Amino acid sequence: MGRNRALSGDARKILAALLAAGEEWSHGYELCRLTGTKSGTLYPLLIRLASQGFLEAEWQPPCAGGRPPRHAYRLTAAGVDLARNNPPDPVRAAAPRYREALP
Amino acid sequence: MTLRRRLAQTACRALLRMLPPEMQPWAHAVRHEVAQIPGDTAALFFGLDSLRGLAPYVVAPSRSSITGAACAVGAVALGAVYLNVAGAPIHYARVNAAALLIGLALLAFCAGAIRDPRRWAVVVTQITALSLLATAFFGDQVEGAARWLKFGSFALQPSLVLLPMTIVGFVIIRDWRATTGMLVIAAALALQPDRAMAGMLAASLAVLLALRRDRHVMAAFAGSVFAFGVTLLRPETLPPAPYVTGVLYVWSEVNAFAGLTVVSGSVLLLIPAITGMASSRGRRTVSAVHGASWLAAILAAALGNSPTPLVGYGASAVIGYVLSLAMLPPGGTPEAMRTS
Repeated sequence: MGRNRALSGDARKILAALLAAGEEWSHGYELCRLTGTKSGTLYPLLIRLASQGFLEAEWQPPCAGGRPPRHAYRLTAAGVDLARNNPPDPVRAAAPRYREALP
Repeated sequence: MTLRRRLAQTACRALLRMLPPEMQPWAHAVRHEVAQIPGDTAALFFGLDSLRGLAPYVVAPSRSSITGAACAVGAVALGAVYLNVAGAPIHYARVNAAALLIGLALLAFCAGAIRDPRRWAVVVTQITALSLLATAFFGDQVEGAARWLKFGSFALQPSLVLLPMTIVGFVIIRDWRATTGMLVIAAALALQPDRAMAGMLAASLAVLLALRRDRHVMAAFAGSVFAFGVTLLRPETLPPAPYVTGVLYVWSEVNAFAGLTVVSGSVLLLIPAITGMASSRGRRTVSAVHGASWLAAILAAALGNSPTPLVGYGASAVIGYVLSLAMLPPGGTPEAMRTS
């Protein structure tokens, strides 16, 4: 997923959702719901973004007792640049679920 | 807990088993995320789709396994042609095809799970030993032979499913636990009694003995010869089963085309062994033993009343063949594959 390669629509949507979250950490299920992306598409994208330094991930302790810890994600500085340079496709971005995700 | 939630968790566990070590945090990420999803259906879709999406990261089966899987597909396809030409019920070919799919799914799973063949080889031997003993004592009996376990209307032959894989495992690691397991397996085959499987065990261990002589092989071989001798002394009382036994005589009973499909399918079973022996010194022994086990099964079908593997009707042999591929080493001479 280099800067010179065209990003897929799903990748752009996920980048936009992460960009909209800013410094806040996002979780996998939340990203799926916000962008309408399937988990089978989301995780390979997150893996590639993380391996290329566009995404940082951390384990967050459980908020409530009995709950497992969660893997959370946010963009690095390079990821923010990537997201800004690759906005979502306007037609797809007009989907209702996605518009709700934008700030 | 609902069935959907259980299936979602199963998908997550499969990911944990199948993904390589460096990908494990992502498998845990999916599992923990699934646990957070309130709806069972949503959790199931999330888990299953994650499994689908992360499948390309699953540890790939070895080249031998891929070759063997292709041969299994070819043999089952040729068997379907034979069954059709010979006038077998249509569901026979479907059962073989379903068994092939189950076997291939297990092979894909095992490719990820068996990252340490040394550890798994012993576990497989112990599971096989217990299964065959249980079958000998509590299995479904037909004409005095207790070789099957009933699952509804289907009868599975555990020896045919597990023994070929176990034999390959014994090439990979031989210690007192594995050797004890092999002796128990030999005893169980004598008790059942199962002449064809006892013959497969003895023939495979004879080849192993010729290539890698040590006290473990000698002990296991002695046990297998004794078991085979016992099965030879006990009368074979099972009647022939149409489309299962005697399939290699289809030349005279049906036509030459059917005969050609059966022989071609049987030869295909030996291709992984032949290519493995030719391609790498490090795989020569394990390939030779794998080939010997299936050659013994084919010969047993030709000479006696035992199932004709893959080309004849029978799910156990199909699953057993594909599972045996899971233990075959990849190319080269990996350290973990050297015999002890």
